[in-house]
Amino acid sequence: MQRIWLNNAFWETPKRQMLNAISEETEQPNKVKREVHKLNKYNDDGTPNELFNEAVEFLGEEVINAATKKRLEKKQAEAEIEKEKKLEKERSKKLEKLFEYKLETFEIDEIKNSKNRLLKSKLRRSKSIPEVNLYAMMIVKESLEDEHIK
Amino acid sequence: MNTSSKGFVIVASKNSNFYIYATNLAESIKDFYPEAQITLVTEERFIDERADVADNIIHCDNHYRAKLWGMAQTPYDITMYLDADMDCEHEDIMNVWDNLKDYDMVFHELTKEREKFYAIREFSYNGNMEKYTLCGGVCLYRSSNPLVREFMEDWFELFNKQYNGLWTPDGFNDEQWRQDLAKFDQTTLWWLVNKVDKYKDLKIGFFHDDIRWNYFTQYGYEGLHSIEGKPPVLRHYSGSLKKDTLIV
Repeated sequence: MQRIWLNNAFWETPKRQMLNAISEETEQPNKVKREVHKLNKYNDDGTPNELFNEAVEFLGEEVINAATKKRLEKKQAEAEIEKEKKLEKERSKKLEKLFEYKLETFEIDEIKNSKNRLLKSKLRRSKSIPEVNLYAMMIVKESLEDEHIK
Repeated sequence: MNTSSKGFVIVASKNSNFYIYATNLAESIKDFYPEAQITLVTEERFIDERADVADNIIHCDNHYRAKLWGMAQTPYDITMYLDADMDCEHEDIMNVWDNLKDYDMVFHELTKEREKFYAIREFSYNGNMEKYTLCGGVCLYRSSNPLVREFMEDWFELFNKQYNGLWTPDGFNDEQWRQDLAKFDQTTLWWLVNKVDKYKDLKIGFFHDDIRWNYFTQYGYEGLHSIEGKPPVLRHYSGSLKKDTLIV
């Protein structure tokens, strides 16, 4: 019964004191026992961990280093995607709020009745609530000035 | 020279919020496409000065799905129907007509990755699992084709019967029909496209990079994007707006 180690083993810690590795042992024909190990370099009593050494010897440090690097890159890419997804969700939620806010703003009589297409368009295309407020104020101000002139 | 008339149809009925959404959508289209021809189908009681944005107004009643009736009333040869609770965000709206190609109707696709944002996508019919694939939130159609116009009329008529329990076709699962399908205009659309012989030759397609033409805000929750990396043309706020509460 020979034990082999899969070449996707990786270091759990930068100091390479712990190895995460999968072993396979053929117990009977067509029956393979697969086991996931988290192996410390040393046992609790300070003696070398034979299983750790066996795995490192079987795979070679270069293979483990390469698998560790690959895994890290994959994890970083996944984290990046997750972060982007979270940001995207936040952006969508903000946009939903912003859209409702704009609809409310357009219900202000002076804005609803304004004929200033340019400012209304600027308001509609605003990217944030402060920007909406800014254009809303300009439209209301214009309306008050028109009222004053009349 | 192609002299077909082209225009947008937006329908707002039953709830005055939809009138506000509809006029806002019309304004947002004109922000990017000032020459756009827009028909607003709405109830007379809603109309105020905001309706001035529309080039044409058609009065409808307060039907829950006046949308389907409105689609059949289009005055244009080529029509882009839009759900009212959308906002136009991009100048490519001017090029929407290019999507018609030689199709009779063009839709946004209901795909597997988008299904969580829809009420229902799969259903049982004659013991098999069937899918809705056409999303009726937007529809570009060749309204100059009498068969297409008839399709729109049938969609409304048949939906009415379905909604009122006067049409219950065989083959559907009774419980699913009652719970999910009977009140849904997508069911009628699926039936007309797939089961009605006279419409079998209609050419039905999808918008190119279709997510841009009906970008549900919730798509952003899952990071769903345009295949060409382009921004949405029409954003759909269907799932986020509180349609039955007062805006102010």
